Amino acid sequence: MAFSTKYIVGFAAAVCVVCSIFVAGSAVALKERQDRNAVLDKQKQVLKVAGLLKEDESIADAEVAKRFEANLVPRLVTLETGEYDDTADAATFDQDKAAKDPATSAKAPEGNLAKVQRVPNQALIYQLVDSDKTIKALIIPVEGKGLWSTLKGFIALDVDTTTVQGLTFYSHKETPGLGGEVDNPKWKALWPGRKVFDEEWKPKLTVIKGQAGPAADDPFRVDGLSGATLTSRGVTHLVQFWLGDDAFGPYLKRFRETGE
Amino acid sequence: MSKASKTVLDPLFNDNPIALQVLGVCSALAVTTKIETALVMSVAVTLVLIASNASISALRNLIPPSIRIIVQLVIIASLVIIVDQVLKAFVYEVSKQMSVFVGLIITNCIVMGRAEGFAMQNGVKLSMLDGLGNGLGYSVILLVVGAFRELFGSGSLYGLQILKPVTEGGFYQTNGLMVLAPAAFFLIGIFIWVLRTFKTDQVEAE
Amino acid sequence: MKPLRDLLDKIEPLFTKGGKLERFYALFEAIDTMHFSPLDRAKGTTHVRDGLDLKRLMITVVVALVPCIIFALYNTGYQAAAAVSAGAAPLDNWQDALFYGTLGYTADPTDVLGCFIHGTLFFAPIYLTGLAVGGMIEGAFAIIRKHEITEGFLVTSMLFPLILPPTIPLWQVALGISFGVIIGKEVFGGVGMNVLNPALTGRAFLFFAYPAQISGDQVWIGASNLVADGYSGATMLATAAESGIAKFTDVHFMDALIGLVPGSMGETSVLACLGGACILIFTQVGSWRTMLGVTVGTLATASLLNMFPSDTNPMFAVPFMWHIVLGGWAFGTVFMATDPVSSSFTEKGKLIYGFGIGVMVVMVRVVNPAYPEGMMLSILFMNMFAPLIDHFFVQANVKRRKARYGL
Repeated sequence: MAFSTKYIVGFAAAVCVVCSIFVAGSAVALKERQDRNAVLDKQKQVLKVAGLLKEDESIADAEVAKRFEANLVPRLVTLETGEYDDTADAATFDQDKAAKDPATSAKAPEGNLAKVQRVPNQALIYQLVDSDKTIKALIIPVEGKGLWSTLKGFIALDVDTTTVQGLTFYSHKETPGLGGEVDNPKWKALWPGRKVFDEEWKPKLTVIKGQAGPAADDPFRVDGLSGATLTSRGVTHLVQFWLGDDAFGPYLKRFRETGE
Repeated sequence: MSKASKTVLDPLFNDNPIALQVLGVCSALAVTTKIETALVMSVAVTLVLIASNASISALRNLIPPSIRIIVQLVIIASLVIIVDQVLKAFVYEVSKQMSVFVGLIITNCIVMGRAEGFAMQNGVKLSMLDGLGNGLGYSVILLVVGAFRELFGSGSLYGLQILKPVTEGGFYQTNGLMVLAPAAFFLIGIFIWVLRTFKTDQVEAE
Repeated sequence: MKPLRDLLDKIEPLFTKGGKLERFYALFEAIDTMHFSPLDRAKGTTHVRDGLDLKRLMITVVVALVPCIIFALYNTGYQAAAAVSAGAAPLDNWQDALFYGTLGYTADPTDVLGCFIHGTLFFAPIYLTGLAVGGMIEGAFAIIRKHEITEGFLVTSMLFPLILPPTIPLWQVALGISFGVIIGKEVFGGVGMNVLNPALTGRAFLFFAYPAQISGDQVWIGASNLVADGYSGATMLATAAESGIAKFTDVHFMDALIGLVPGSMGETSVLACLGGACILIFTQVGSWRTMLGVTVGTLATASLLNMFPSDTNPMFAVPFMWHIVLGGWAFGTVFMATDPVSSSFTEKGKLIYGFGIGVMVVMVRVVNPAYPEGMMLSILFMNMFAPLIDHFFVQANVKRRKARYGL
């Protein structure tokens, strides 16, 4: 069968139109559901750091939203001044996107040890609150290079802004069994109670090589991950960078002084 | 064996797309660290295969030969995008783990290979069965590899803990190699070795 | 020996074709040739230029390994004693219970005999596990495939413990040698067909599967709590990757040369490897071309990188002399790279093959952030290129000869 040029062009156009109707239709119809999933996923991560959701616990979506609403308040922070910014909607704020866009971010200081490229002008933190809205903890996003990959996670600080309540990474690609042990619940259990800042409020908490003492006696050091020097060092750097003066330092200082 | 059942059953072991035709290996390496992702991927690929074979077979007499590859590609790509959207909407966590590999079904040689090699010459019903058979053949390998990798790499099967890892206070030392992509190569290789030991007609002539 | 010969002759019909135990011929043959000369011998006028056969070849390698084995036994005990006398705790296993408890030894690095005994307690179980498990797999394949058990396996099982840390769990030894023999050798068709060195394949498997037991700073010395007590258990290579060699002195260099440092059991002593190299080169079992190639490759790459010192990566500044005394360089060059099956066959090819290993080992050590030791990976990497290198040299040869005869 020979096909005329007209037929070929017409056929191609028809296929394209039909296909695009299907693709566009599915994208539009499912968009709402997908967005809700993305929000829920993030809320779950935050609930996990806050200790409100156990690692292997599975709960209904409605319950996630309920727990999140009841216990956590997302707040946008302007990093340079340390002030809250309530003009933008914290629920839809995308920090990864903000950090990439030159309009909403600044270049990170040259040669910073966490190898962070850009720091967003504004960042999203979560406040853990109890039933009468008293702030119990601050959940702060951290990220930085380990050995192979960028580790992304949250650190939860007490209202004194120096005592760690927990640390968790939700995304990394470190070596299973070595650097991958940042996920190990045993190792994560070593963090609560450690102190981040020294007397002059400089970040001091370090992941050392070998073993540190219990949190009460040895508050500024955490056990290293055996055989994973570079991942351990990466964790030190990313914690020190994000809680330091180039990122959340001004905010934490202001929080200490004003209590909110 | 009737032609229909032969079309479905042959790709399982006799003419397996991965083991004999060695197509679609890339995704078999990437999504088989766990059974859950392997299963979702298997279902996704099977559905895309059936749908693409069906639609391309239905249009086979209308498609101008000069643009047939691009037409097949457009149809397959649309189907993959739809599947990707559905996964994101209904099994978000799994789709997050599979990240780009759902989108990469477009480049999975099995889909294009069956469209061009089978659906362009056969009727709609038979083409759908061919899609189903090849999808299942692909799934068999993915699930076997996924089961081995999850069991030995993380000590669990479909998220259910079978061997309690040392890091959680158990006795099982998880095998880190199993979580890395090369493990899938070894396992697929061993699968082919075993298959060809029993089906010697699959051994290529030297 | 007469009664044994008689016994073997008597039961031989059972194993030959048509006999009841025909499928176990491989086992019978192995036992027979282990004690007597082979059953099938060339009769009449043959073309033998040299009495070298596979059996003698393999025995020579084992003889060449003797200095390394002796030193491995001593150093394993010595390192444990040095660590314990410096404050580390003994291990909680039967070896240390037997050594410090039942036998009543104390941790004394100057007690040579004690070090030997202690080292043997670590080495022997690992060696025997590898030999038994690997031997069983080898035997099973020989029976299924109806060929004879070859001596190549004795070398593999001898090499394997020498490239493992003393504290490795025995089940991992068993798993490692199984992987090495099956995936490294049998899938390709058995002895002589393998692309990869089986012992190194087994080690690579363990390295990626169970990194915690074969890397880091806790596994190289037979003692526990090393770091907590301020005693560094890291290999010198790992220390160099961390902070460069600036802190090392001439004493460290001598230690690394002699081999009184932590590391895989057999790889630490450069001098023992040098002794082995002399035996291999003198008997022409190991190729001096391969060894020369590795040395030149290392020298060239190390010198090149020395010209670009880096502030963040101290390994760039490590000179050639340090590269060859650290880690498994010497052992790998002498015993692993020269493996006649997995290396290049052509004489010129061996130079290129060795050179490639030399280049790769320095690149992995210096540029890769995760694996301070590059010897294992670079040899396996070049193993895969050996057939290709041979192909080019053979083709070039064919072309030259064709041209010579005007074809």
